[in-house]
Amino acid sequence: MANNDIALMAHLMRRAGFGASYEELEQRAAAGYEATVDELLHPESQPSLEMDVLERRFVDWREMNALEVNQAFWTYAMINTQRPLEEKIALFWHGIFCTGNSKCEHGRQIKLQIDMFRERGLGSFRDLLMGLSSDPSMIFYLDNCMSHKDAINENWGRELLELFSMGVGMDGDANYSEDDVKECARAFTGWTITNAIPRYPYGRYEAGFIYNPADHDEEDKTFLGETGNFNGDDIIDIIARQPSTARFISRHMYNFFVADDVQVPAWQNTPPRDLEAIQMLEDEYFRSGYNIGSMLRVLFNSDAFKNARFAKVKSPAEAVIGTMRVVKDYTTPKPGLHNLASNIRYMGQDLMNPPTVEGWHTGGEWIDSGTLVERINFAADQVGNLELPGVQDMVARLGSGGAATAEETVDRCLELLGAYELADETRDQLIEHVSRGGDLVPGTPDFSQRVGQTLQLIVSTQEYQFA
Amino acid sequence: MTTTRFAGITLQPSHTIGRAEFSGPGFRNPVAMVRGEEDTMYVVSRSYDYRPDGKRITICTLDEDYIGEFARGVTTAGEGDPSDADGSLIWPTAIALDSEGNVYVADEWLNRISVYSGDGAYLSKWGTPGSGDGEISSPSGLAIDQDDHLLLVDCDNHRIQKFTRDGQYISQFGSKGDGDGQFNMPWGITIDRSGDIYIADWRNDRIQKFDRNGNFLMKFGTSGSADGQLDRPTGVAVDRDGNIYVTDWGNDRLQVFSADGEYLTQTTGDGSLSKWGKEKLDANSEMWQERDIAQGLEREKLFWGPIAVTVDDDDNVFVVESARSRIQIYRRQVPVFFGGRL
Repeated sequence: MANNDIALMAHLMRRAGFGASYEELEQRAAAGYEATVDELLHPESQPSLEMDVLERRFVDWREMNALEVNQAFWTYAMINTQRPLEEKIALFWHGIFCTGNSKCEHGRQIKLQIDMFRERGLGSFRDLLMGLSSDPSMIFYLDNCMSHKDAINENWGRELLELFSMGVGMDGDANYSEDDVKECARAFTGWTITNAIPRYPYGRYEAGFIYNPADHDEEDKTFLGETGNFNGDDIIDIIARQPSTARFISRHMYNFFVADDVQVPAWQNTPPRDLEAIQMLEDEYFRSGYNIGSMLRVLFNSDAFKNARFAKVKSPAEAVIGTMRVVKDYTTPKPGLHNLASNIRYMGQDLMNPPTVEGWHTGGEWIDSGTLVERINFAADQVGNLELPGVQDMVARLGSGGAATAEETVDRCLELLGAYELADETRDQLIEHVSRGGDLVPGTPDFSQRVGQTLQLIVSTQEYQFA
Repeated sequence: MTTTRFAGITLQPSHTIGRAEFSGPGFRNPVAMVRGEEDTMYVVSRSYDYRPDGKRITICTLDEDYIGEFARGVTTAGEGDPSDADGSLIWPTAIALDSEGNVYVADEWLNRISVYSGDGAYLSKWGTPGSGDGEISSPSGLAIDQDDHLLLVDCDNHRIQKFTRDGQYISQFGSKGDGDGQFNMPWGITIDRSGDIYIADWRNDRIQKFDRNGNFLMKFGTSGSADGQLDRPTGVAVDRDGNIYVTDWGNDRLQVFSADGEYLTQTTGDGSLSKWGKEKLDANSEMWQERDIAQGLEREKLFWGPIAVTVDDDDNVFVVESARSRIQIYRRQVPVFFGGRL
């Protein structure tokens, strides 16, 4: 197997999933790149998690009301899913269509929204927006339940346009006006939720979406130049066919799957990093009838994607899950999962509880001196734990090659972790450090330990923070 | 005079006990219970993975008087954490009482049986992980027979093992599979008045019955949600007339079968406000008002995660709901009719 095939597969799996063990990379590379893309885009072709067994061992998952329980579940799902893109696309949409537990205080309700992303996230963007507009946690989070025909609340109408579909502007121009925001909010009056059952004494129950025609504004609205007695679904139809929507979604897709772009608020006045790639995605958006999976197929098979290795800073979820999938811990239920999941929060990404409706700033903004230390300590603890099966696999693979020089060992460890690449200077420093112990000889008492230390050095580099 | 005993059975909702709490009056993700002396009962709370403080055994009465709790939980998460300290719990699954009122609690993570006195004082422990004779892997059900021997559902070894009270291995039956006498991750267990043994054969979606020596007698249940079908049965209990009660976990219901395994009836729950629940609402009175305008409050009646069932000698049927932190109690109405033709 050509190493380049492995490296390309490692790249695809980091982006379309959360990374993969070397064994999985070999199997997927043998199956072929396009075949793997095809499989990823059809998550239903792979088995789902065995929820009966999981709910038996994690008894609290049957109810899953607390935020922390949901974070543990999502962490487990990302580590163990055989449908990596299903989880990755859910994370993608969660980063855009933010809903936070700090306001909703009901983890299960937000989980149902994430489940909707799992189900619709690779389908029609219009259907996804319909799901979002009728999602109880979103309706509560952005106050549409407080928006009435005689007294609109603009929150949902504004964020739908600004953050969830079109963006404030593109190519230096505004995409919509303040009047459009108001008209949008009027069209969504009556889209509300059932009154909640209080949490005491037995715990919360999820709210349901209801459409209240008595509270819907039936007068004409003028939205983005079109006039009619619009309801929410009409607004979504109009939004879905806007070039600005194609641009906005394409740019998000590029930023998440290909390479770090500037932060979203700067998009109105800052051109895309790779306009050609964005236009390719925009074309596919319209050609496919707003189909997200079709856009991703074009993207993953493009040179723009294939050539963008390590052009992104890993998000905290990617940093934690990527390491876990290589070291193969928590592949079956066991206590302590919440503590593992908490590492994602410590690194700055409190899943299902983003800081604002704007979500998390990405790229280099993930990193500060505190979160960097968290990342390095976490990854080094994992890959240095010689009891973990994935670490043992890597030790065994290195051992099967016989005695190795420091240079061979460093290069092989980089390969096994997922075909990572180091700057020459960094690589030379690592080789110099490892060489102080001489060649690594399988069977010698310190062989495993030295491999573990080499892995620890690699995951402590700047380069390991990139995907 | 003739006595006519109808095949039918009626479950009359009695009352609900419990509320969601990490300590004190209430439970948190309860997984098992057992009746104690007089009107007492012991309830095992599993709690959340991240809230080990909610893992405990609660002693209370049928009328919901709180007596106390013991055996607080721990987690394996922290380094140096005494996760296997005597009497502690990580993943408790099952509870049983011996003839002297001592309490046995199984822990499927620690592969350990902890023994306490009836008032919760730690006495001893036993259990060796493994698959050999007398070794256990994820114990999930406990029952004590007329000889004061302990029958243990050895889930991940797909078998039932018998021990003395202090953990000396006696015998076993069962193996992995779906044939008669085989199991797939079995869970609940009960013993009837004649000493026959019933097992909730969880991942085979059926109940199996054995004699006291482990000889297969009968089975019932197939996968599904129709009357009499099962979706991951968790608990099983038998009343003094031989009727069999099954918590049908995946279908969120309780089903009742005749002694022959014929489907009789079912209920999806009749939960009501418990005494502790009302006290909680009184202390948060705005929630009474919220309840007045809540939509879908009828869902509160329904079972959510029925995980264990017990029947006592007074025809009380107890259904433990892991996801609602409560126990719904029914009264079995015995359909006895005296007289001739009407």
